[in-house]
Amino acid sequence: MIVETINLTRVYRLGSSEIRALRGVSLGVEEGTFTTILGPSGSGKSTLLHLIGLLDRPTSGRVLFRGRDTSLLSDRERRRLRLRNIGFVFQTFNLLPTLTALENVELPMALAGVRPPEQRRRAIRLLEEVGLGDRLHHRPSKLSVGEMQRVAVARALANGPSLIIADEPTGELDSKTGEEVLRLLKGLCEERGVTVLMATHDERAARLSDRTYRLLDGVLQG
Amino acid sequence: MRLAILSLRGLTRRKVRTTLCLLGIALGVSVILGVGTATTRYTATLREMNTYFQGRVIVVSSRSIFIQALPIGGVLPGGIVAEIERVEGVGDAVPMLVLVRLPQVGEGGGLGLTQLVPMNITYGIAGGRWGVLVGSTPLRAGRWPDPGGEEVVIGRYLAERNNLTVGSEIRVEGHAFRVVGVLETSSPFLTRVIIMSLEMAQRTYGYPRLINMVVVKPEEGVSEEELADRIEAEIPGVSALTSEERGELTEGLFRDVELWNLGLRTILYLMSMVLVATVMTMNISERRKELATLDAIGAPRGFVLRMVSGEGALLGLLGGLLGLLLGSIASILLVSRYASVPIAMVFKSLLDVVPPKTALEILASTVAVSTIASAVPTLLAQRMNIVDALRAEP
Ligand SMILES: Nc1ncnc2c1ncn2[C@@H]1O[C@H](COP(=O)(O)OP(=O)(O)OP(=O)(O)O)[C@@H](O)[C@H]1O
Ligand SMILES: [Mg+2]
Repeated sequence: MIVETINLTRVYRLGSSEIRALRGVSLGVEEGTFTTILGPSGSGKSTLLHLIGLLDRPTSGRVLFRGRDTSLLSDRERRRLRLRNIGFVFQTFNLLPTLTALENVELPMALAGVRPPEQRRRAIRLLEEVGLGDRLHHRPSKLSVGEMQRVAVARALANGPSLIIADEPTGELDSKTGEEVLRLLKGLCEERGVTVLMATHDERAARLSDRTYRLLDGVLQG
Repeated sequence: MRLAILSLRGLTRRKVRTTLCLLGIALGVSVILGVGTATTRYTATLREMNTYFQGRVIVVSSRSIFIQALPIGGVLPGGIVAEIERVEGVGDAVPMLVLVRLPQVGEGGGLGLTQLVPMNITYGIAGGRWGVLVGSTPLRAGRWPDPGGEEVVIGRYLAERNNLTVGSEIRVEGHAFRVVGVLETSSPFLTRVIIMSLEMAQRTYGYPRLINMVVVKPEEGVSEEELADRIEAEIPGVSALTSEERGELTEGLFRDVELWNLGLRTILYLMSMVLVATVMTMNISERRKELATLDAIGAPRGFVLRMVSGEGALLGLLGGLLGLLLGSIASILLVSRYASVPIAMVFKSLLDVVPPKTALEILASTVAVSTIASAVPTLLAQRMNIVDALRAEP
C-alpha cells in the first residue's frame, strides 16, 4: 500500500456556509497499480487528490504515505516528498511558459539538486520516452495540447517518483490524444512500475485502470 | 543558474511593461544622479570660495556682509587701512575693491539658478599684492598688471569664453583695458575673476578712494579671533570676520541643499519602489498558477520568492544602469551649466562629476529598493494556499 487514507474529511468554509467536499473517505492505493477515482464534477475528486498529494491538509482524518502519517510532516518535509516521490499531472498542464520542453522537464531535477549534465541526459531520455524527442527546444506555446500533456508527464517522472497523481489529465484533450495520454500513463505503470492515481469523470477513461473508486458528493460508493 | 534564467525570462515576457518600468526607474535614477552631482558640484564650488583668505581676518563695513569671498553691501573709506594697521597684532592689511557682475537675464543660459553664479568678479587689489587673492596660482601666460597701467589679468574661463589672450583688449564698464595675463586655474571662482590695481578699479567703477574689504594678516602668534575682536573694538563701523565665521555663514545653506537632496532622493526611491511593486504585482497575479505549480512540484520554500525578487533585482540593475547613463549625461550638462564651465573642461574630469562611489551607491540602492518592492507582493501572494492558486484561472 503506497497511499492510504483514513476517514478523510475536508470542509471548506465560505463565509458562514460550509462545504463538505469530502465526508470520511477511506481508501488504499496498491503500489504499482493504475487506480482511478471516478466521479461527476463537484464530487470532491480534486480535493481528494490534493490531500493525497500533500498540497492541502484535511479537516480530519489522515493520509498515510508508505505507512507514515503525513500529518506529522513539516512543510519542508512535505515539499521534499512531493519533489522526490510524487509527480503531478494537471488537467491544464501547468508548464512554465518561459521554459522549453527540455527545461520544463529539467526543472524538478534542478530543484532536487541533480547536476546539470545529468539533468539534461535524463530529461532528453524522458522526452524521447513520451515521444517528443524532436520537440526538445519548443516552448509550450509552440506545442499541441497533447504534446504539452506529454511534456507534463515527462516532468512528473523527472525525479523518478513512486506515485503519479493525475487530475483529469485528459480533460482538455480530444478523445484521440486523450487516449494516447492514457496509454502513456498505463505504459509507465506497467513498464516502470510507477503507481498512477488518476481522477476523471469519464467512464471510458477508467477502463484501463486496475482499480476504480467511485466518488459521489464526497463519499465513496460501493 | 536556473533561478537567474527564470528571472530573466520572466522579465522578457511582458516587454512593454518591463520597458516602461525600466524607463521609470532610469528616469528616477538619472534625476537622483543629475541633481545629486550638480548640487554636490555647486556646493563644492561655493565651499571652495570659502577657502580663500584662510588664516586672515576680513574687515568689511558693518553694513555689509561677506559671503563666498565677496563683500556685499557698504563701502569703507580708503583711509581706514592706516587705522587697521595701527591695531596691535596686525601683520599686514591689503585693501581691495571687489565688484560682482551677475549675468543679465538671457545671458549665460536660461536656467534661473545660473543667475546666482557671477559672470565675472573684478578684484581691485592694492600694492601689487596679487598673491593675497590668488595664492600660488600661476599665470598661464603674460605678467601681472603695472599699478598705474590700464591692464588686467583675467581667469582662464573668461579668456576662453571671450576669446581673449595676452594682448587682447577687454572692456570693463565701458573702459578699455589690455589683458596682460591669464590665470591658469581650474577653480570655478578664480577662473572668472578680473584682477586689476585698486586705483584702476576705483576709477573704473566710480568709487574714488573707497574700498569694500581689507584682508588682514595677524602677526605671528596672534589668533584670528583675538585680532578680529580687537579691530572691532577699536574701529567703529566695521566688522572683522575670522575664517571660521565666514565658513559658518554658508554652512546652513549647504545643510539645506543636502537636506533637499536627501528628500528628493527618498521620494524618487519610494516612487521607484511603488513602480516596481505595481509591475511585480501585475506579473505575479498573472502567474499565480505557475508560481503555485512550482510550489506543488516541490520547489523549496523561498524558491518562488527568490525567483520573483530576482526579477525585481534585475529590473533595478538594468534600470539603474540605464539611469546612470542618462544621469551622467544630465550631470555633465547640468554641471557645465551651473558652474558655467565649458563642457570640454568637464569632460576631462568625468569621474569628478560622477564619482564611481556615488554611482555604485545609487546602483546598489536601486537594486535593493526594487528587490524589496518585488518581495512584498510575492509574500502577500504566497499567503494564498497552493490549491487555491492552482484552481485559479490561468
Ligand atoms: N477552495 C474552495 N472553497 C470552497 N469550496 C471549494 C473549494 N474547492 C472546492 N470546493 C468545493 O468542494 C467541492 C468539491 O470540489 P472538487 O474540486 O474537489 O470537485 P471535483 O470532483 O474535482 O470536480 P471537477 O470534476 O469539476 O474538477 C465542490 O462543491 C467545490 O465547489
Ligand atoms: Mg477537479
